[in-house]
Parts: sequence; structure tokens; C-alpha cells
Amino acid sequence: MQDAIIVDDLVKSYDGKKLAIDHLSFNVKKGEIYGLLGRNGAGKSTTIKVLTTLIGYNSGVAEVLGLDVSRNGTEIRRRIGVVQQEEAFDFTTVENNFKLYGMLWELPREEAKSRKEMLIDLFELNELRKKRMFDLSGGQKKRVQVAREFMHGMDVFFLDEPTVGLDPIMRRTILDYVKSQAKKGMTVLFTTQNLEEADYLCDRIGIVNEGKKVAEGTSSELKSKFGALRTLKIEYTSDSLVKKEDLASGIDEKYITEIEIAGNEIFVVSGKIEAVVGKILQNLAEKGIRSDKIMIDNPTLDDVFMKVVEK
Amino acid sequence: MKLPAFLRLTIRNIIVNIDVGTLIFMLGLPTLYLFVMGFMFQGIVTTGVPLQSGSTVSYTTFLAPGIIALESFTAGNIGGGMLWSDRRWGMFERIMVGPFRRIDYLLGIITVSIIFALFGSLIMLGFALLIPISVIVTPESILLSIFAIVVGTMLFSSLFLIISGLSKSMQAYNTITIVLFFMLDFASTAFYPITSSTPLWLRTLSGANPLSFIANILRDSLISTITSGTFFYATILLVVMLVFLGISLRIYKSIRSGI
Repeated sequence: MQDAIIVDDLVKSYDGKKLAIDHLSFNVKKGEIYGLLGRNGAGKSTTIKVLTTLIGYNSGVAEVLGLDVSRNGTEIRRRIGVVQQEEAFDFTTVENNFKLYGMLWELPREEAKSRKEMLIDLFELNELRKKRMFDLSGGQKKRVQVAREFMHGMDVFFLDEPTVGLDPIMRRTILDYVKSQAKKGMTVLFTTQNLEEADYLCDRIGIVNEGKKVAEGTSSELKSKFGALRTLKIEYTSDSLVKKEDLASGIDEKYITEIEIAGNEIFVVSGKIEAVVGKILQNLAEKGIRSDKIMIDNPTLDDVFMKVVEK
Repeated sequence: MKLPAFLRLTIRNIIVNIDVGTLIFMLGLPTLYLFVMGFMFQGIVTTGVPLQSGSTVSYTTFLAPGIIALESFTAGNIGGGMLWSDRRWGMFERIMVGPFRRIDYLLGIITVSIIFALFGSLIMLGFALLIPISVIVTPESILLSIFAIVVGTMLFSSLFLIISGLSKSMQAYNTITIVLFFMLDFASTAFYPITSSTPLWLRTLSGANPLSFIANILRDSLISTITSGTFFYATILLVVMLVFLGISLRIYKSIRSGI
């Protein structure tokens, strides 16, 4: 599949000393949703600013839709949508913000009207449509900011932490709508600090730290590669006392990080849970202990993030 | 029909910036100056006000072209303020990553300032005719008046674009604009003539004030006589405008993000 975004060995420094983007490389295929994760100041927003032609860069390659961002700004800007991290609105009503977008992006009057109504409905803005942007809460403003962007067509959509301040239902509405548009061929570059939503939305994820890419892959690839320790939880029934050494009997010490027994629950933390679960259950059965419920926690993207960013 | 990008931005600027506050600033204040200040001072200046041509007119007749000149200053202020406001509220950055060139945004601001200035000037002229004052209407006087208003507005837009581009906070922007407002408005020939009894420092300040050039051109065109001096003021106004526009373009090019 063709790449809609190519970033290769990209370098950007604001002051000529510290690198905000440090030899960053990644590509986003057409129709793909790519998540850029990182801590504050990791270089996510700077990357988006370079790709949306707002700022220049020092060296490397930055292409959007096959066009060099340093030379084809006007052409690129016609074909992209951007939701900035910061608030961006006009001093007018919610409804006028949509109308202005339709006019600025040269939508035919009827199409602009029907899109505006569709988006106001979808993003539950009906009650707010006559309110001035200034009178809205931070979350409501953000909702308008994201919804308004869908007034115009686009091939690539850049979203820089678009769900900050939104309630979970609206967050899901936005993510689902972005997903539906991506299925129609829109490419998405999405930055967030909410790893759960990156897990939900993104086809591939790149983790950046101090301007460098430190990990990349699908959510499951990252979890299996960098997945931290997993926890086995067993709820049991027994009159006799369960001992840690009985549980770990016959299991190589290196596979067990921690065992904890609290009430009628056993927690086993292991870097290779699949290798120990069978033996632990067998040890329990041999001691006449009945396991009522067995659960294994899967690694989360949080675990991956902590591991790759802190290493 | 597809509108050029700068015109779309001009329409956006009109829609976003027409509110009660803007209308009061653009029309209410000059109207008060015209009627309240005009009639109050007319009661004091009973002998009339001397013009450069040597003739004498009533204070309200003298004031009317000055108030029209003020519209250039006010509209320029509103225009320059748009950049500041867009930077402050994120729209500058959003527009910069939209389907526009940087120059479109600048043209959008200058165009809307000119529209506001011409509209305000027409309203003020209408009020002046109610006073009543008699106005000279010749193709030459109309063209020179439009020239003064358009070039003057471009000059003041550029000045306020420079301030918007350099201001780092709302306090700094407001303080500078308020000081400039009083300094340029009152140390000019918009309200008073320069006479031999005017202190030299004030005469110098007033003489170098671009608002005085606009007021003088409008006064010569609308209520007095167009002379070579009028064209001299027009040339100076044009040159000063080009200098300010050049500086504002330089500063504007370096702006990348919000405040």
C-alpha cells in the first residue's frame, strides 16, 4: 500500500542546540491510523507542526501524500485536516463556526448545510448551537473543534491530543467516527497520552521519547515484545493454610517474580506466565485446594509505554 | 463562483469581528466626538478655525474631516487586533495549516480594515452632512479622499500588525494600543489646527503624525482647496505606509504560532 506520510531521519531544533525531533523515522500507509505516543515534550506536536507545514525542519525527509512539506505547503494544506492540541475557535456561535468552515473550505451551500446538521447531531451539539464559543466548557470547545474539522473533505487527518477534556462517551464517538472515516481511505496521524484510546483506535503505534522513536508496531506486537510482567490471580477454597513454597514447588525460580497470598486469593507475578500456570494449578490440586476462579491479566499499552520510555 | 482565498478570509473576518463592541469603537466613539466635541468646542471657538488655504470655517466643519480620518485609525486598529486575537485564540495557527497562503491571511486583514474604514467614513460623512457642513464633491476630491482613507488604513493596519506580531501578552498589547490611541488621536490635526501658538514639541509631534496627513488631505479635498501641499501629504502618506507595510511583512513572516 502507498505511504501517505513519510518521515525519514527528520531533525528539528528550535534553538539550534536541543533537538525537538531527533532523527525520527516512520511511515503511515494510506488509510492507516497511526498513533504517536510519548510524554509531554517528546516531540509529538512538533512532528505534527512540521507535517502540517506550520514550521520548517533542519534535515531529513517529511512528505505528506507524496509531497515534500517544505516545498508544497499550499497543495498539502488543501488536502489535510488538523485538530491542534490548543483551543482554536472564532469569536462567534457554535453554529457559525461550522458555517465559517464551510465557507473557508469552499463547500457548496447545500452541502455545507447538510454536513453541519449531520455533525451537530453526531457530536451532540444541538443544545449548544446558538451559544458563543466563549460560553462553552473546555470539553465542549474541544468537541466543536474536532467536529468542525469534518466539515471539509481530507485525505490525511492530523489529530494532536484531540480528546483531552472529553467525557468517555464523546471520546468514543469521536474515535469511532475517525475509524469510520479511515475505513473510507482517510489516513490518520493521532497523538495522545491516553494509551487506552491509542490501543482502541490505532492500527500501528510509534512511541517517541525525547524526539526519538523508541518503539513501533501494532498494539499486540508492542505488548508481546515489550509486555511487562503478567499476573495470575487464583481464587481458591481451602480450610488449610496455603504456603508460597508449596505453590512454587517444581517451578524454576527465574520464572516467578512474586507470589502473594491475601485471604482466599493468590497472586503470582511472572515474566512467563504460560510456563508456570499449569504447574501452580497442579501444585494446588495436589494439596487438595480447589481453584474457583483463575484470571491472567494481559499486559497493557501502559506497561509497554512505561518500559520503553523508562529504559 | 469560487472566491479567492483572501476574500474568503475577509468574509470570515467581517463575520467574526462585527459585534457591538466593534461597532461602538468604530462608529459610536467618532459620532460622539463629532457631535459632542464638535458643538461644545464650537461654542468656544466662535471666530472659526483657520484653514491652510487662509479661509476660516466653523469648528464642526473643521472637525468633520478629522473624524473621517479617525476611521482609518480605528479600522487599522481593529484589523491589527484581529491578528492578535487569532494568535491568542488559536485560529492563526489553524488558518496557517488550512488551504491558504500566508499572504492570503494578511490580505484578508488589510482588506477588511479598508472595508471597515470606508464604511465608517461614509457613515461619518453622512452624520457630518446632518450638522450640516457643506462638502466639495469633484472627481478629484472623491479620489483623493478615498486614497487618503485606503492608504491611511493600510498604514495603521500595518502599525497594529507590528504591535500584534511583537506582543507577548494581552496586557502588553492593550497598554500599547491605548497609549497609541491617545497619542495619535489627540496629538494630530484631526481635532485641532496647528497654529503659531502651538508649542513646538506638539507641533512637531502633530506634524509627524500620519493621522494628521490623512486629516489634512481630507480637509483640503472635502472642505477647502486641493493644492500642491495636498499631494505632498499624499506622497508622504504613501511612503510612510510602504515603510510600515514592509516592517509588518517582515515581522508577520516570522510569526509561527500563538501567544
